[in-house]
Amino acid sequence: MDRIIQQTDYDALSCKLAAIAKGYLPAPQFSDPNEIESYKLIHSAYFNTLKTHSRRIYGKINKSISSSFPVMNIGTYLRTVALDSQIETFLQKNDKVQIINLGCGSDLRMFQLLNKYDNLTKYLDLDFKDSIYFKNDILWNTELFRDTLHLERSNETDGELAHSDRYKLISCDLKDTTNTMTILQSLTDSQIPTLVITECLLCYMPQLESQTLINSIISFYRVGEWLSYDPIGGDQPNDRFGLIMQTNLRESRNLEMPTLMTFNSKESYASRWNIISNDIKTNIDIKDMWEIFNSDIEPTEKQRLKKLQFLDEFEELKVMQTHYVLLNAQWEHAL
Amino acid sequence: MSLDIDAVIDLLKQGKHVKEETVYTLCLRSQELLMSEANVTHVDTPVTICGDIHGQLHDLLTLFEKSGGVEKTRYVFLGDFVDRGFYSLESFLLLLCYKLRYPDRITLIRGNHETRQITKVYGFYDEIMRKYGNCNVWRYCCEVFDYLSLGAIINNSIFCVHGGLSPEINTLDEIRAIDRKQEVPHEGAMCDLLWSDPEEVDTWSLSPRGAGFLFGKSEVDKFLSTNNVELIARAHQLVMEGYKEMFDGGLVTVWSAPNYCYRCGNVAAVLRIEDDLQRNYTIFEAVQPQDGGGNAIIPTKKPQMDYFL
Ligand SMILES: C[S@@+](CC[C@H](N)C(=O)[O-])C[C@H]1O[C@@H](n2cnc3c(N)ncnc32)[C@H](O)[C@@H]1O
Ligand SMILES: [Mn+2]
Repeated sequence: MDRIIQQTDYDALSCKLAAIAKGYLPAPQFSDPNEIESYKLIHSAYFNTLKTHSRRIYGKINKSISSSFPVMNIGTYLRTVALDSQIETFLQKNDKVQIINLGCGSDLRMFQLLNKYDNLTKYLDLDFKDSIYFKNDILWNTELFRDTLHLERSNETDGELAHSDRYKLISCDLKDTTNTMTILQSLTDSQIPTLVITECLLCYMPQLESQTLINSIISFYRVGEWLSYDPIGGDQPNDRFGLIMQTNLRESRNLEMPTLMTFNSKESYASRWNIISNDIKTNIDIKDMWEIFNSDIEPTEKQRLKKLQFLDEFEELKVMQTHYVLLNAQWEHAL
Repeated sequence: MSLDIDAVIDLLKQGKHVKEETVYTLCLRSQELLMSEANVTHVDTPVTICGDIHGQLHDLLTLFEKSGGVEKTRYVFLGDFVDRGFYSLESFLLLLCYKLRYPDRITLIRGNHETRQITKVYGFYDEIMRKYGNCNVWRYCCEVFDYLSLGAIINNSIFCVHGGLSPEINTLDEIRAIDRKQEVPHEGAMCDLLWSDPEEVDTWSLSPRGAGFLFGKSEVDKFLSTNNVELIARAHQLVMEGYKEMFDGGLVTVWSAPNYCYRCGNVAAVLRIEDDLQRNYTIFEAVQPQDGGGNAIIPTKKPQMDYFL
């Protein structure tokens, strides 16, 4: 089961690489001009090293890049820019901060963020052991990452993970909250404003474990912000999207999303961050990706997207994007 | 080469492989037949109007089952036979076979997907490469696309088209004057007919799709009265309920691909027009395709991942 879940990382990576190949990403509306080249560079560097590491995975990803549909590319674009812009806002409004990326997979956000923001004191990437060692091998064997991230490894043969003062790769099963919290407590400072990212992680976790994880993190860090992107099953009477999605994923690859139909609306999804406590103040905002497409993407940017590939079906884009959400939950403990 | 159309139909209904030479002959014959058709074909009632199919062969078979079948019923297909689904070739060839077998029972109108450029992006080209290892069959089919009609007119009262209206077109005669035998251009009247969408807009507006226009009630009313027709029947947009009437019933969208792309969860519809022009909609749902032994057919070698994971 865990192996099947780990493989979703290749899907996320393929989607991102496809969106880059077709020119959707990086987005000029959301990037500095000098970041644009480096964005493409780090992703192709990662992919090139991946090729030497696993021909099979490389082939699989390459195949799906070559036949990427516009609906998927636009969705990947939306997911990426929406998260990126909220991450940057957080980094810009706070002094010293730390970022915890739960279920990081092959996400390479740490690269540009660590370079750009000196106030980012710690960036932690957490995932299952196999995924973390996979990422570790690629980062360590790519000069660009080794140099720019200032990676070190004193004892390579013992399987020690590459790291720097500010960047850590951590192998752990996030369903094991006790162990996860022990690690976080040892590596981060509970008093520093902390950004937690879960981009398609919680949908794979059982309800109880994901709730315990949310509760524990919110109680540990004094001030924080949680960004979470996930699918929701839909709660309208005639809406069959979620049930069909569960069936498709189960039949085609044995993949389960245990809470897709439990947290099937924006409200129910967000309710998990609604900690009832006198000591913790929370402020939650949640939008579906269709709302984000309509409110946050400038007309010039939409114009640019439309020129990249003909979008054949708008309603389909809407159906898909109304079933994905981005949550922003901010919390603060009373002093 | 001789062609046993009924035998090919049998093969296609089972989703079985059709030889390259057979496809070649089939396409050539279809081309000869379509060549003689007008840009706007005349069709008599009663007739059943069908929207996008998009390679969903099993749903196309359901469609025929639920609406009487080509032996008994006349059909107009509004285009978008190929792309997205896993059986674009079989769906398109089945329609061509029916067209050859029952020429006056079935009218095929070109959709925006029936072009070389779009099929390269949206799956038909890849499907042919997977099934034949070369693109010959794709080329034969694209040649046929160039001969498909641009529209149809039912009892001089209902105008059928894939997408919608064009600011360059006022009358049906202007559509008749188009030189249709070509790849669909990126702009102009022919492009608009295949790409435009109705919308609550005051006048011609830019389309979010990147081709064609958005048009509103006033454009529709004007077209209806200029051409003395009472309805525009078109497809091209996914409608979760299968069909949608707009502008006081002056336009209808018909969508015939249930559970579009095997994931949207929509129902599909066809529209039957009676002799008195009364409109009857038939709604149908997707079936899980089964093989001869009653086992679910899950398309192997899925060309695409379908969700954001
Ligand atoms: C779909 S990927 C998303 C990767 C990355 N966040 C992105 O959006 O590009 C899901 C990731 O979550 C990880 N994951 C899922 N459940 C986990 C768990 N219980 N513990 C650690 N990692 C987990 C998987 O290994 C995988 O890398
Ligand atoms: Mn169309």
